[in-house]
Amino acid sequence: MLPTPSISNLNIERVYEPAEDSFLFLDVLQDELPFIRERFSTANAPTPLVVEIGLGSGIVTTFFQKNILTNALFLGTDINPYACSQSKETSKENGDPKYFDALRTNLLDGLRPGLVDVLLFNPPYVPDDTVPSFESAVKTDDWLDFALLGGCDGMQVTSVVLDHLTEFLNLERGVAYILFCRRNKPTEVAKLMRTRGWIVDLIEERQAGWEVLSVWKFSKAK
Amino acid sequence: MKILTANFVQCTVKACGSSPDCFPLHFDQQTPDLPLELAHEDVDFSPEFICNVLPRIEWPALLTTARELGNTQLPPAKPEIENPSAPENEQLLRDLHTLLLETQIIQGSMRCANCGHIYFIRDSIPNFLLPGHLVQ
Repeated sequence: MLPTPSISNLNIERVYEPAEDSFLFLDVLQDELPFIRERFSTANAPTPLVVEIGLGSGIVTTFFQKNILTNALFLGTDINPYACSQSKETSKENGDPKYFDALRTNLLDGLRPGLVDVLLFNPPYVPDDTVPSFESAVKTDDWLDFALLGGCDGMQVTSVVLDHLTEFLNLERGVAYILFCRRNKPTEVAKLMRTRGWIVDLIEERQAGWEVLSVWKFSKAK
Repeated sequence: MKILTANFVQCTVKACGSSPDCFPLHFDQQTPDLPLELAHEDVDFSPEFICNVLPRIEWPALLTTARELGNTQLPPAKPEIENPSAPENEQLLRDLHTLLLETQIIQGSMRCANCGHIYFIRDSIPNFLLPGHLVQ
């Protein structure tokens, strides 16, 4: 079992605290270690760029840095300013890689197209009437709901990312890992993405409390 | 924010996406309330690592970024290095290592040459969120 990163000073009133979904994500990455290392093994290939949407505490990116590809480049994003600084602290606490930066942005806005080799996304997947409003979060400085609430079917945010995967992933070797709960109807999402030419694999599914969580892998057919 | 990051980002404004001027963002005009501040942070040097990062770099954009931050020492064309551990390559790779990985932009601003929007960097974190009227 690969070690879970340590996080000593997490302010759980400001930043999403790692929970079952995060730990499922770490287990999936551990299962996928041989695949990822093989895919990015060529010594002279350009160094892979690993990008996480929604860094939160930084646990997933830091786990990847320490255990999966230690010599990659790492970028992450979060709309929550506290998550941006927390994830940098978490990375530092566990011994920074050579390159990691946190960008405060919405999803992948601001990133140049075609750069991402490994995309990691544990989205706000909880169904709700709406997605949180940016304006009210600015007023209250409370960003936690952005890590949780995914609007209709819990898919409003994930859908945006899926619709733009072609734009952001390196289509030669890029691969995306995205977490879903059962109410997101992931098998239907997988079907839709296959019609768009994606290879979609269920990596792991797990009961977590009253939710059923799963992580799926997306890559482009050659 | 490390200088390598400036090679990975562009203006967020949708209308700029199709313009060649949306990248790189420019450091040439700083605002007085947030003066440019750079810092050095040690990162272990690996010549192979830098060599494997080189293919990812848009060299002309890096030249622009480096120049605007006061570094005019880079070679005009992207170096092609076959043997990263050869002694004759060490100085260049060390310079690139220092520039790309060890130089932190603690604060300052980046400007889009197409729309003029300014992106601020504070506590070494760049902010790409747009005010409501620019989001489409």
